Amino acid sequence: MTYEPSSVLDAAPSDGVDPDEFVRAAMHWHFDPRTGSRYWLERAERLAFDPMRDVKSVADLSLFPDLTDELRDVPVTELIPRGYGNRAALINVFDSGGTTGAPKRVVQLDDWMRRSTEQIDRRLRDHGLPVGTHWLTVAPTGPHLVGDVLQRAAGALGSPGLSIDMDPRWVRRLIAAGRGDEAESYTDHLVEQCRRILLTQDIGVLAATTPLLERFAAEDDLLERINGSVEAIIWGGTHMDPDTRHLLATDVFPDVPLIGMYGNTMMLTALIERVGLSASRPCVFDPVSPNVFLSVVDPGTGERVEVGERGQVIVSHVSKSMLIPNNAERDTAVRVRPADGQAGDAVADVAPVATVKDERVIEGVY
Amino acid sequence: MTAADITDPVHVDALGPRGAYRSRVPSTVTDVSGAEVARLSLVPPVYVTRALAALRRAEPVAAAGADALLRAAGEEFATGTIGGLGVREYEHLVSRTSGIPLTVVRSTTRGTARFVAQAQSSARRGKPSGAVLDRRDPALKAGHAVWARRGDVFAVNASGNHPGVHRQWLEALALGYRVAVRPSRREPFTAHRLIGALHRAGVREDQLVLLPTDHATGDALIRGADRAVVYGGDDVVARHAHDPRVLTQGPGRTKILVTADTDWRQHLDTIIGSVADEGGTACVNATAVLVEGDPAPLAEAVADRLSQLPALPLQDARAVLPVCPLDRARALSSYLRSAAAGTRAWLGSEGVVGDLGDGSAALRPAVHQVDSPLAAQLRTELPFPCVWVAPWSRADGIAPLRDTLVLSALTSDGTLLDELLAEPTIANVHVGDTPTYWMAPGVPHDSYLSDFLMRSKAMIGTL
Repeated sequence: MTYEPSSVLDAAPSDGVDPDEFVRAAMHWHFDPRTGSRYWLERAERLAFDPMRDVKSVADLSLFPDLTDELRDVPVTELIPRGYGNRAALINVFDSGGTTGAPKRVVQLDDWMRRSTEQIDRRLRDHGLPVGTHWLTVAPTGPHLVGDVLQRAAGALGSPGLSIDMDPRWVRRLIAAGRGDEAESYTDHLVEQCRRILLTQDIGVLAATTPLLERFAAEDDLLERINGSVEAIIWGGTHMDPDTRHLLATDVFPDVPLIGMYGNTMMLTALIERVGLSASRPCVFDPVSPNVFLSVVDPGTGERVEVGERGQVIVSHVSKSMLIPNNAERDTAVRVRPADGQAGDAVADVAPVATVKDERVIEGVY
Repeated sequence: MTAADITDPVHVDALGPRGAYRSRVPSTVTDVSGAEVARLSLVPPVYVTRALAALRRAEPVAAAGADALLRAAGEEFATGTIGGLGVREYEHLVSRTSGIPLTVVRSTTRGTARFVAQAQSSARRGKPSGAVLDRRDPALKAGHAVWARRGDVFAVNASGNHPGVHRQWLEALALGYRVAVRPSRREPFTAHRLIGALHRAGVREDQLVLLPTDHATGDALIRGADRAVVYGGDDVVARHAHDPRVLTQGPGRTKILVTADTDWRQHLDTIIGSVADEGGTACVNATAVLVEGDPAPLAEAVADRLSQLPALPLQDARAVLPVCPLDRARALSSYLRSAAAGTRAWLGSEGVVGDLGDGSAALRPAVHQVDSPLAAQLRTELPFPCVWVAPWSRADGIAPLRDTLVLSALTSDGTLLDELLAEPTIANVHVGDTPTYWMAPGVPHDSYLSDFLMRSKAMIGTL
């Protein structure tokens, strides 16, 4: 298949374009002085390779260093490709959560927003999600991508989205300052807001973060309500370990399908759990060709680990609106072969990088 | 199967309100040589949430049949096969993981069985004499007090330094609390065995649970309970200091005071035992000896006796010293060296590492003499027989004796004894020839646990 560069770049994930060809087209778009963003055009001068010449395939994205740290400071207008001219429709500027320091910023243009929403909508319909039913989303909104993704997903399914906002940065600050009781109070506050909605509205889909779902487990009235009337639960925003997932699916919400969502700001979208996995099997997330490519590597060598092995997750986002190649996530996951002929790896059992805790105890007998 | 035949790692499951729970990827429990001996199922936060909710819904253990039940549980603990482990296998695992000599573990098994059997009567010894247990008591007709729980759910964040730590929470169970125990990840076997024994004797699974967790989930357990006891070092104590729902069991800083009117030579066995019995690993082992007059002869005599303790593998019948991984032994040894700077070393100046050649090391005793009863070293409590000997005079007063779990006073001075008893930061006073580690059912360890768990409510009238 051959495409004009522009038509390849305008392809939707469902159009089945060749991922390598898409990547080549994207390189020409992002690094041509007429169409590329100011950021990339200036940055290209300091790369050790020529993206337009040397990046011929998805695999060649690994030539790029991880430049996402620079997104903490780049003025967002410099991220918008010039090729849009005056027609660039900037919908959002999203921040990363700031776990690793100052937030990194990405832009969401109108065309990518539509691509992302279509893709998520299709995957959710594959899961048999009801259409037109009310959603309750409890997720970070504002500068955070996940709340927006969920609201748009609800909209795509014709579903009015009721929502509760949460501020993960504030919670992290409380916890870091040892103010766990205040973090608890904030969680109680969120639960109370959810209770008002769940007990008065007819909610068909509940979308929430893992800690919120865990917290619901202590609320008998909410469990009764959710198990009685909610038709699907979407979890995301944070990780869910396999034991928690199994318990939530079999013990806490035995009557409601649990659907995982894995995404982050640098991915600029979210991946929906592969259809048909039971709670006893690992939760797998497939990439979305030609826009989101994953690879699972040995963090020491950068080499890809074998299928079935755990490694660090590397994510590349390639679209007409943004290029974020070779971003080393703080996540680890098991490498899995992707479904549906998607390029790159799929990932299973995504988990945060293990933090090594020193055994301090020198003094004292305990 | 004999204990020596154990080769495959044992599974230590969580014991939840609906039975045993095995996690998908159990964590590893290693012995002092680094060998894997068990796989421990750590429960995730949502499991804790569910278990706490179940405990809250459950009835208390009925007081009426509790004595018989506890006697049966004590017997089961001491003799039964629980979680696939006979008592000998259990004791081997405790010894190999906690690093306490097998003989110490064995005598603790018997002691714990005794504490279990007497938990209800022990708990009731803490009842104020002005309160009654039952609302039907005729004393209430004229107005009286009823002894009542301050909450329903008690959580225990246990330590693994000594299996004896699990004797305390039984009183909470006997007082009607539903109890969740988070065992030490280093030595989860005692809690598992004790809870298994209590279940077998008739305590329901939703009244008493074993919840192994990681650190963060352990904090969630504490937060979710009405009352909790937490074991740990100064940092743990400080972290919970402002939470009235949490009882902290911190370093013991147990001390012995010898006044000039007493000939310490008559009590040398008691002093040595206080320092070194139990492997020197318990909070009730003596950390400091204060001597009115010249402390050197006492330090010399203690060092001489302790120097004879052999460095042996834990299962050796003559073993008395604790054992730990070699790396940790070296770290402790170098820590001791820096802590002891400026002191006179009677024993331990060459280090305390007794390399056993299998990746583990016995920790040899150390005896140091300091020149002031206010020396900072007296607060340094280490998990092996390590004692600081200091001079003390009447002019120093009781300030150097503060912040002490057990103070053994070798004295005939009643006025001084009054002062020691009146000092709020001295938890227990032993007078005369009793080692610091002496404990008995019904005698408080750090006040009666019931002081923390119960209150007296005014009541007049009966139904």
